Amino acid sequence: MKTIQTRFGEVEYNPDNLLHFPAGMIGFPTLHDFIVMPNKKKGPLFWIQSIDDPAVAFVLTDPSNFFLDYKVTAEESEKNSLQITDDDECFVLSVVTVPQDQKITLNLAAPILFSPKTNRAIQVILENSNYKSKTPLPA
Amino acid sequence: MLVLTRKAGEGIFIGDDVTIKIIEMKGGAVRIGIDAPKGKKIYRQEVYDRITEENIMATQWDMDVLDSLSTNLSTGKKDK
Repeated sequence: MKTIQTRFGEVEYNPDNLLHFPAGMIGFPTLHDFIVMPNKKKGPLFWIQSIDDPAVAFVLTDPSNFFLDYKVTAEESEKNSLQITDDDECFVLSVVTVPQDQKITLNLAAPILFSPKTNRAIQVILENSNYKSKTPLPA
Repeated sequence: MLVLTRKAGEGIFIGDDVTIKIIEMKGGAVRIGIDAPKGKKIYRQEVYDRITEENIMATQWDMDVLDSLSTNLSTGKKDK
């Protein structure tokens, strides 16, 4: 086990069990490895902590918790980045923006594709869709 | 930045797998054709910038806000 200092205090992690972003998150191309933090509280939200930059952590969720008909399928090149084949599972996650007033939004325009088999993830932009980068939760 | 002047119908090679062609110029806008390998990500700059900005904003959150939010969300609110 290793430890890093983050803005949330000291975090212990297993270096063999990281979420790897070969291309980083969009706007953060040099941050490749994140710790998936276990949920302290119940609920659909969890967070990932960069091990390269202690200041960077993202809140994520499975968007189907809130948007039942939201579907994203990985293209061939994206499956290559995840190092998976058509038979492997690929999950979709959304980045959650959490403002002080708790009115959270999901970035449905730029989902994260994630392979539980390879622990790899990529953030993609759905440019030709009507999904918004700031989608409020359904009322 | 490399700056080149091109006319409609002319193109540019970038490396050996990307070709950019000026299709036409009309009403202050330029239509561009791009040939690139299928896996190459091509985005309009303002779209890419918006996602970058949203990602930066998404890193600005507090643990206590997340905690109370998680409590609210797990008390059956999402079943609505």
